[in-house]
Amino acid sequence: MNPIIGIAIKDVKTFFRERGTLFWTIAFPVLMLLLFTAIFGREIPFNASIGIVNDDQATPLSANMTASIILGLNETKIFTVKAFENKTEALEELNATTIRAVITIPQSFTYNLTMGMPASVSLAVDETSPDIARVVRDGIKTFFSEFYKHFNPTYNEPISVIEETTVAQVRIGYKEYILPGVMCYPLLFSSMVASTGAIVYEREKGTLKKIRASPIRPLGMLFGKTLAALFQTAISILLIGFLGAVLLAPKVNWNIPLLAPIMFLGSMNGVAVGLLISCIGRSPQEASGAATTIGIVLQFFIGMYFPIEYLPEYLQQIGKVIPMTYAAQAVRDIMIRNATLSDILQPMWILIVSAIILNVVGVLLYKRWVEKE
Amino acid sequence: MIIEVEGLAKHYGEVKAVDGVSFSVEEGEIFGLLGPNGAGKTTLMEILCGLRRFDKGKVTVLGFDLAKDSYKVRGTIGFCPQETLLYDMLNVRENFAFSASLYSLDSKKFKERVEFSTNVLGVGEFLNRRVQKLSGGMKRRANLAASIIHDPPIVILDEPTVGFDPNVKREFWELIKTLKNHGKTVLLSTHDMYEADELCNRVAIMDKGRIVALDKPHILKTTLGGETSIQIKVKEDQTKKTLKALDKYDHIIRDNEIQIFAKNPWEIMPEVSNKLVSHGILTEKIEIVEPTLEGVFIKLTGRRLTEEYK
Repeated sequence: MNPIIGIAIKDVKTFFRERGTLFWTIAFPVLMLLLFTAIFGREIPFNASIGIVNDDQATPLSANMTASIILGLNETKIFTVKAFENKTEALEELNATTIRAVITIPQSFTYNLTMGMPASVSLAVDETSPDIARVVRDGIKTFFSEFYKHFNPTYNEPISVIEETTVAQVRIGYKEYILPGVMCYPLLFSSMVASTGAIVYEREKGTLKKIRASPIRPLGMLFGKTLAALFQTAISILLIGFLGAVLLAPKVNWNIPLLAPIMFLGSMNGVAVGLLISCIGRSPQEASGAATTIGIVLQFFIGMYFPIEYLPEYLQQIGKVIPMTYAAQAVRDIMIRNATLSDILQPMWILIVSAIILNVVGVLLYKRWVEKE
Repeated sequence: MIIEVEGLAKHYGEVKAVDGVSFSVEEGEIFGLLGPNGAGKTTLMEILCGLRRFDKGKVTVLGFDLAKDSYKVRGTIGFCPQETLLYDMLNVRENFAFSASLYSLDSKKFKERVEFSTNVLGVGEFLNRRVQKLSGGMKRRANLAASIIHDPPIVILDEPTVGFDPNVKREFWELIKTLKNHGKTVLLSTHDMYEADELCNRVAIMDKGRIVALDKPHILKTTLGGETSIQIKVKEDQTKKTLKALDKYDHIIRDNEIQIFAKNPWEIMPEVSNKLVSHGILTEKIEIVEPTLEGVFIKLTGRRLTEEYK
């Protein structure tokens, strides 16, 4: 047989016999296909929660008017409207990004509208997510430009929407939005791939035998590997941050004392996931395929590049159980919304608990694997 | 005794990889485990190094019970397996530093050990070269040096010269002897009878997970290896003719090799040669053969050392 053909046949056979590698090779494009279809193959890209505050409660007619606005906004399917008693409460939720905009209906709004006088509402939009802010703003303006036609056909000028100062005081550009997300990239890739590769590589190369024949305990070895993975991740984050700052000059808050623990906890989660993969993967190819596929898929769920509101509801639920989502959100909150320690305590706790659980499971799996060897 | 093994057993389902093995190793000796591939040598060595658990028996190393103090035992052993366990992207010194870190060596001791490796094991010329750029022989030398960088009293070598050409093999044998001269106790496995004969103070012959004989090589050869003989190798088509010519001598035939036994083979050697010449037989090889460990193994198991298990 021609040696070239022989090599090709051998490699093809090897590929098809490594079932794990085969699975991840096929799983990757299939997952991407399903994911992209789920995200972008829909008519409505997302659903945003918005708040409404009614300061125009003088007459039953005005209460009825507000109810009609809420009903109309909900019927657009773009918005889910929540009514607030007062504006302070609504702005608090806007700051916490649980709602994306606050519409305030001023006094005399109904009167003006019914009397054919110029009517306006005020709008505060969460500008920290530029894509969402644009869609929300356009959606609300379009809604009010059409709403009056249904309410009072004799009214002949659109309801004006007056924008208020927004959450972060300045409108956030895409570079400000994307940089915190990209800085979370190493949490998925560097940490996960580093820890996966480190152990599987040692096993494949045989050098794990050398380590296991030494007095170092399995846990000690894992700590060493974790340290290396954390270091690699830290270098990646610093480089991305530095290059991002130099090349894009974004107007973000570099609160290192808050960013450092979030990044650390996010990395610990990534390292633990990598460890789990390395204990399951039978060959470096399989483990690296699994780590890369999982990393690439997860990046869409955690809101790295676009808000998770873009995802269909069921995919958003998946995003909410992935610890890295909270790391990405916390990093964005710190850098864009000037979040303080108390603002990020919740994601911090989620990251701590998940890191502990994942690492304990990883260590147990690793010990079991070592004993099996 | 520096190593004591009593009734050690390791089974993989029905397969008895190590089957009730007992032996002890004296301090400062080179102790060999001789047997074909699959005899259980590697499993036995990996058990001693703490890489595998065992099912039955007791192992004591420098007074530590392996079952209870596995990590203390590991600290006393330098394990050098068949494969090269070095990191290709690091240079030799960096590999040494990594190995030293596994045994918590301080920098002073590390410097001393690097010096030892340079002066005694001859790694100085490629100490700062990346492993991927080393020749096979250099890699094995560096591998041995890395495995004993922590200055262990016991060195375990699993088939240390397998795949070497004769010259490199001889060089490596000298290194192993040097280790012994520096006070190390060496436990080595091999399926090369010459290696066992050349290096080992005592040899345990292993077959199917058991030790079938254990003693000094010369005693094994004298007691179990048979007599000195004349070995003649001829072309296959001349075998019958040769047997006819040498009919009067006590002989056996294996393939196209004829072995003649006599009380004093040196005396009958000229006569045998003349007979072959007078019958017009061309020999490929004719030599006087001393008893070998291979002979011992054949006598004990009925197979050659190079034969694989079926």
